[in-house]
Amino acid sequence: MDYNFQFNVIWRNFDTLLDGAWLTFQLGVFAFWGGALLGLVGAALKTYGPGPIRFLVDVYVVFMTNTPALIQVYFLYFGLPEVGIRWSSEACLLIGLTLNAGAYLTMIMRAGFLSVRKSEMEAGEALGMSLVQQIRYIIVPHIAKSIYPALANFFIVILVMGTSVGALIGVDELTGTAINLSTVNYRWLEYFTVIAGMYVVLTFIASIGLALLGRWAFRVKARIF
Amino acid sequence: MPHLAVNDVCAKYGSLEVLHGIGFEVDRGEVVSLVGPSGSGKSTVLRALVGLTPVTSGHVEVDGKKIDYGSSQAVKAARDRMAIVFQQYNLFQNMNVMRNVTLAPIKIKGRPKAQVEAKAIELLDLVGLSEKRDAYPDQLSGGQQQRVAIARALALEPEILLLDEVTSALDPELVNEVLDTIRRLAREGMTMILVSHEMSFVREVSSKVIFMDDGKVVESGPPAEIFDTPKSERARDFFGKILRH
Repeated sequence: MDYNFQFNVIWRNFDTLLDGAWLTFQLGVFAFWGGALLGLVGAALKTYGPGPIRFLVDVYVVFMTNTPALIQVYFLYFGLPEVGIRWSSEACLLIGLTLNAGAYLTMIMRAGFLSVRKSEMEAGEALGMSLVQQIRYIIVPHIAKSIYPALANFFIVILVMGTSVGALIGVDELTGTAINLSTVNYRWLEYFTVIAGMYVVLTFIASIGLALLGRWAFRVKARIF
Repeated sequence: MPHLAVNDVCAKYGSLEVLHGIGFEVDRGEVVSLVGPSGSGKSTVLRALVGLTPVTSGHVEVDGKKIDYGSSQAVKAARDRMAIVFQQYNLFQNMNVMRNVTLAPIKIKGRPKAQVEAKAIELLDLVGLSEKRDAYPDQLSGGQQQRVAIARALALEPEILLLDEVTSALDPELVNEVLDTIRRLAREGMTMILVSHEMSFVREVSSKVIFMDDGKVVESGPPAEIFDTPKSERARDFFGKILRH
């Protein structure tokens, strides 16, 4: 191979890359938790809501899961200004990713709603719980525990694949930062090699964090690899 | 005035009516047992009393106060007075024993935490499980889980405890630990209605036995009378089959 790797220039800009990684991490966390909240509401409405509401949830899920996240974010960033709504690129990315994650998480959490033991719900009802209280005290812990691995995997998907969409609308998350920096000195390969490593470290940290959270809060023995 | 009067209660599962006008009375401190063949509606009576199976007509009176199950307030009133224990325990799998027992009184009834916890410790002691406070249901035997379920029901401080075949899912050697708990409650004057297939136990603890068939009360009376000299053909036939063994 003739290519002569020169990493010096990368280390000089490493602080900027770290800032990008931090933004990526924040976007991933907020989009995931926002999406988790949407998913919980979506799954609850899909399970217990009246017919028309269930239909609306289906439309939302089908629309958001069957179109690319990139298109959804583009729609917010380039489409909304046409009707006079102007959000920053970060806001468009975060809202787009949250809506997208909410649709996937509606489907994932729906599995949790369907697999909760009916007898536990009945016990809750007999103890005087309302449906919302049954969801809160019985279904949510059940979901957190039983589909924890699926949730944790999905968080990684948003963290890596979801947030990098931001590069295309000018968000300075990790990928976007690397693209910006490399246009200055054309060290594409070096930058992308380094941020690939940073993504691995980021997901590794996130995985350990999730595993510890799962173990502490839900008695789940999650595998990290 | 009886503590609980059940008046002409009908109940449906979907479109199938399973109770066709049930009536009986329970005095304070009394242990009343419902017996009869499978499908006669015994468990449905208990489920209807706490509003888990919809009551289509009829009502109950607790200390003369009418509950008709027609509104969520009425169902709530019923659940304030009566608590049910299920055949399969139905403990919350994701909570430890202490939280299973204290969740409803604290979060649903809004009682003070310290007071509920003190009461829970007392109840776990009563059912002989004070050392299992931090265990999760899947770490307990069936008999232990069922005793936790009894403690959970009692934590609501119900006036009437409903026990739905609480030993049917247990290994034979675990049955006695649950029966001992019920005996103890009976001695302490807890009003209970139980559905059970443990006939000798029913005979021992009950002050009144109600024989049901096909969603109706066929006859009722003191245990000796119902078991030894049943008046109806149906009851004679039933006890003839099960007591011969």
